[in-house]
Amino acid sequence: MTSDAPLQHSPLDAAHVALGAKMVGFGGWSMPVAYPTGTIVEHLACRNAAVVFDVSHLGTVRVSGPDAFDRLQSTLTNDLAKIGPGRAQYTHLLDDSDGSVLDDIIVWWIDATTFDVMPNASNTDRVVAAIGGIETTSQRAVLAVQGPKANELLAAVCPAAAAVGRFRVAQVEWNGVPITVAGTGYTGERGVEIAVPVASAQALWDAIVAAGLMPAGLGARDTLRLEAGLPLHGHELGPGITPLQAGLGWVVGWDKPSFLGKTALEREKAAGVHRHLVGIATEGRRPAREGSVVHADGLVVGAVTSGNFSPILEHGIALAFVDPSITPGGSISIDVRGTPLPGLIVTPPFLPKH
Amino acid sequence: MTTTPDTLLYSTDHEWVEITPSGTRIGITDYAQDALGDVVYVSLPTVGATVTKGDTFGEVESTKSVSDLFAPVSGVVVAVNPALADSPNLVNEDPYGAGWICEIAPSEPSDIDELMGAAQYSELTQQ
Repeated sequence: MTSDAPLQHSPLDAAHVALGAKMVGFGGWSMPVAYPTGTIVEHLACRNAAVVFDVSHLGTVRVSGPDAFDRLQSTLTNDLAKIGPGRAQYTHLLDDSDGSVLDDIIVWWIDATTFDVMPNASNTDRVVAAIGGIETTSQRAVLAVQGPKANELLAAVCPAAAAVGRFRVAQVEWNGVPITVAGTGYTGERGVEIAVPVASAQALWDAIVAAGLMPAGLGARDTLRLEAGLPLHGHELGPGITPLQAGLGWVVGWDKPSFLGKTALEREKAAGVHRHLVGIATEGRRPAREGSVVHADGLVVGAVTSGNFSPILEHGIALAFVDPSITPGGSISIDVRGTPLPGLIVTPPFLPKH
Repeated sequence: MTTTPDTLLYSTDHEWVEITPSGTRIGITDYAQDALGDVVYVSLPTVGATVTKGDTFGEVESTKSVSDLFAPVSGVVVAVNPALADSPNLVNEDPYGAGWICEIAPSEPSDIDELMGAAQYSELTQQ
């Protein structure tokens, strides 16, 4: 994807502009980074009440047919046999040669022979190349409704959607419109993600906003996922980074006969990883940023992959790849543009699970 | 729409300069804070430090990015805004008032002459 390619626009573009959103380019799409409320207010609303994100920039690839299960099962890392129709699963597509994570994906298992595979915006082509299927991204919008009150508030709009539980998938109707609802998200909160046909996207968005869910942008989505310790492709996952290094061994169905990258991953598992992903809680409000070097006892031990200010904890938090000898409880120092920033190694998520 | 008070002077680096009895008071413009998004940390210069026009003398960090602060005039830093340590969001909420960043006693009066008026700065930000 080149930077001068024209940006794609969400079916909800006009709604964002009408709300006064600041739009940015992300993964080839023009998307709202924040509304006039600002990232921190949106972040706190998601932790304390509920927000709605437009995540139409995520890809959707429909894989269907009698061989759909086998195609996914023999390609992606996670073991689909652990779930079934009406369930969602987080999984990886690896580079067969070195076990690098080409993409991290949510699979919505719609019915026995139908799957909606949801890659990151810019990785959709890789997923189609590996698994086949038909890209349906342009036919729908995806709304993520997230927060402790998400389901309760959504019930006023669509009770059937609000009833979808964690990692469940259901096809329901809203005002006669078929929508697909999954109990998934990227914030560490309760909630659902809803795929709605383009023609009805604005009406559903408006109804959800009218029900009291605050629109939130990609800025809050990033600070929320970081507090929740969730990886972002291009930062904690990507070329040269395996699921084992990222602490995501649970995403790998080791007992499956095959999946792309299995040999490389088994080799790494036997030899041990040469680096691992950790959380770092830093002192004060100043955030460490991607690329900042991590020191321990005067030696370089790794580098930050994502860092920001935690609106809930009110101090800096970061994810970093470090030497395996650096473990939770250890003290480190991050070089923030020449200034040492003290930090403590912690196990993500940064917030207690709830 | 962001505001650009007529009573202030402006730099091309999106800082405002107020002429005060003791010298100058400096902050970032409404346009700059709006572009940055929510400010979470301000790295302030040290009181007593000598700064040179155009040089970096601090940083403003938002949830999105880090921006350098460039000295709009040469001189000595005589005060910094202590409120920003705990409430950097003042830069967003009141960029021309409670969100001021520092005060500099200018050493080169001609630096002031090179700053823009409100009309010229507004033109710059509307391009």
